[in-house]
Amino acid sequence: MLSFLAFSVRRAAQGFWRNRVMSLAATVTMVLMLVLLSGLVLVLSGLEAGLQFVESKVEVQAFLNDGVAPERVARLQEQVAALPEVATVTHTSKEEALADWRAQQEAQGRPDLTGLTGTNPIPASLNVKLKDPRQYGQVVEILKAPKGVVAEVLETQRVVDALVAITGVLRTVGLGVMLMVALTVLFIVVNTIRMAVMARADEIEIMRLVGASDAFIRWPFVLEGLLVGLLGSLVTLGILAVAAPAISQLGSTVLREIPVGFDQRLGEQLVLLVVGAGALLGGLGATISVRSYLIK
Amino acid sequence: MPSRGRLTDAPVASVPAVAEPYVTFSHLRASLRPRAGALEAVAPAPSALTPDRPADPALARPGADATIPDLRHAAIALHDVTKVYPNGKRALIEVDLVVPEGDFIFLVGPSGAGKSTLIKLLIRDELATTGTVLVAGRDLARLRRRHVPHLRREIGIIFQDFKLLPSKTVHENVGFALEVTGTPRREVGPAVERALALVGLSAQAEQRPNQLSGGEQQRTAIARAMVHGPRIIIADEPTGNLDPLISWEIIQLLLRINELGTTVLMATHNAEVVTALRKRVVALEEGRIVRDEVGGYHRQY
Ligand SMILES: Nc1ncnc2c1ncn2[C@@H]1O[C@H](COP(=O)(O)OP(=O)(O)OP(=O)(O)O)[C@@H](O)[C@H]1O
Ligand SMILES: [Mg+2]
Repeated sequence: MLSFLAFSVRRAAQGFWRNRVMSLAATVTMVLMLVLLSGLVLVLSGLEAGLQFVESKVEVQAFLNDGVAPERVARLQEQVAALPEVATVTHTSKEEALADWRAQQEAQGRPDLTGLTGTNPIPASLNVKLKDPRQYGQVVEILKAPKGVVAEVLETQRVVDALVAITGVLRTVGLGVMLMVALTVLFIVVNTIRMAVMARADEIEIMRLVGASDAFIRWPFVLEGLLVGLLGSLVTLGILAVAAPAISQLGSTVLREIPVGFDQRLGEQLVLLVVGAGALLGGLGATISVRSYLIK
Repeated sequence: MPSRGRLTDAPVASVPAVAEPYVTFSHLRASLRPRAGALEAVAPAPSALTPDRPADPALARPGADATIPDLRHAAIALHDVTKVYPNGKRALIEVDLVVPEGDFIFLVGPSGAGKSTLIKLLIRDELATTGTVLVAGRDLARLRRRHVPHLRREIGIIFQDFKLLPSKTVHENVGFALEVTGTPRREVGPAVERALALVGLSAQAEQRPNQLSGGEQQRTAIARAMVHGPRIIIADEPTGNLDPLISWEIIQLLLRINELGTTVLMATHNAEVVTALRKRVVALEEGRIVRDEVGGYHRQY
């Protein structure tokens, strides 16, 4: 077993080095694919997080003008609550809203700037939960009816629908592109390893004649493929590590107050995905290349 | 290969290997029934197939038909073997052949007669289209793919073109056969030295094939074939690339290996050698065995 491992590893490294131009070309295409894959995953998980955030909010939020008489707000709240499609209506005061905002900012590690102004810039709101998130009925009209009470109505569901559509399209297109790129990479790996196999055709013939098992014939090449895959993923992870702060920055700029977590968990998943995809493509490509050289 | 001896240990005609899959009597009977007469006509008498061998109690079955030769003791047994290549070429037709353990046999015949095809069947590089091929106690039609390497470790194969690796030394070329079959590193060196001593190449161990004469290259290949301590040596025109004197050297070496207990089957065009040695000669012509007798190379091929 030990001699098998030593044998396979030694030959894989030898093969990679002898065929280094092709091996490196394969590694570079592998890196390109893995970077693309990571980008797609990042954008999709950003959108996904945004979606969840928005969905978790009430479906309709009406921001109130400052200084409206409390009884007018209470009346409006009763009116809306009486509508058949409405589940609940809650009132968030300016103070509560500010506290929420601060908590959120702190969770994302951003400085709290609200303390500097001395006044509270966050509006109070009425938050409507619908029985069926897609059934708005007259809610928006009723909210907007009394003059001067409601400054702006945020129909979260509309935003959600748009996000779902974008995410869906991106996922489909992204997966399609990914699949094509992955196939190209597989093709390149297959060809690279095939060259390595052909360079050793005489050795393989002798190995078969003297009774080497398929494992001894196959594994050196599979390891060579894995080497391409793992080297590719390492480089990719290096690139991602360097680019991580910029990506985080971009992410929070684009998505603004949505608390997208470019957090540890996403990082770990990305590492697993990149290494897994690299190893899978490398190993699979090599397995395909060496297949016809095994015992009939 | 811990149990089987390598060269120095005990290169005697071996006990039938406990190998998969077992050839059962019922299986043999079934395969022999249609042409049992033909097999006996070609093969030496059954008693010659099992010379003075004490009956193995594990293998003997009460009521076994005494007229059926105990083919598991034969190194090689072919029964009614036909090989048709995918292109429709019938390279072997109804071939029956039994080679007892310890024999030395020449396979002769004109170019295209099917000698190499027969050898490919024996090392299971090709499978017989119909018929039974038994090698070292294994029925090759029923041998699983993953057990093919075990079969090949019991056979040493030698070719006309040596098939040495140019970048490796003599020692490394011979050791390669052990290295790629998972032999522990510390066992490789001594086994290679024994094999090189057998073929008389100890002094050239560190040379590369391009620094050797043709005869020395072939002896390297023979050392590689012997390094596993095989039961059978199969040589396909091993002297085809060598001049007569060197050819004799190689034949002498194969004879010595045979005397040490290894069965040798050698395909050759070399009439001189075949005629000079009183060994069994099997002649193929257009895929059929046309003669099987001791000595002589009656026709010029
Ligand atoms: N892979 C193959 N596919 C189709 N036909 C084949 C194949 N290998 C051999 N043959 C044919 O089978 C016949 C027997 O070939 P084989 O190589 O066994 O002859 P041989 O006796 O070894 O000849 P030689 O003395 O020239 O080596 C020939 O007619 C050959 O053309
Ligand atoms: Mg031939």
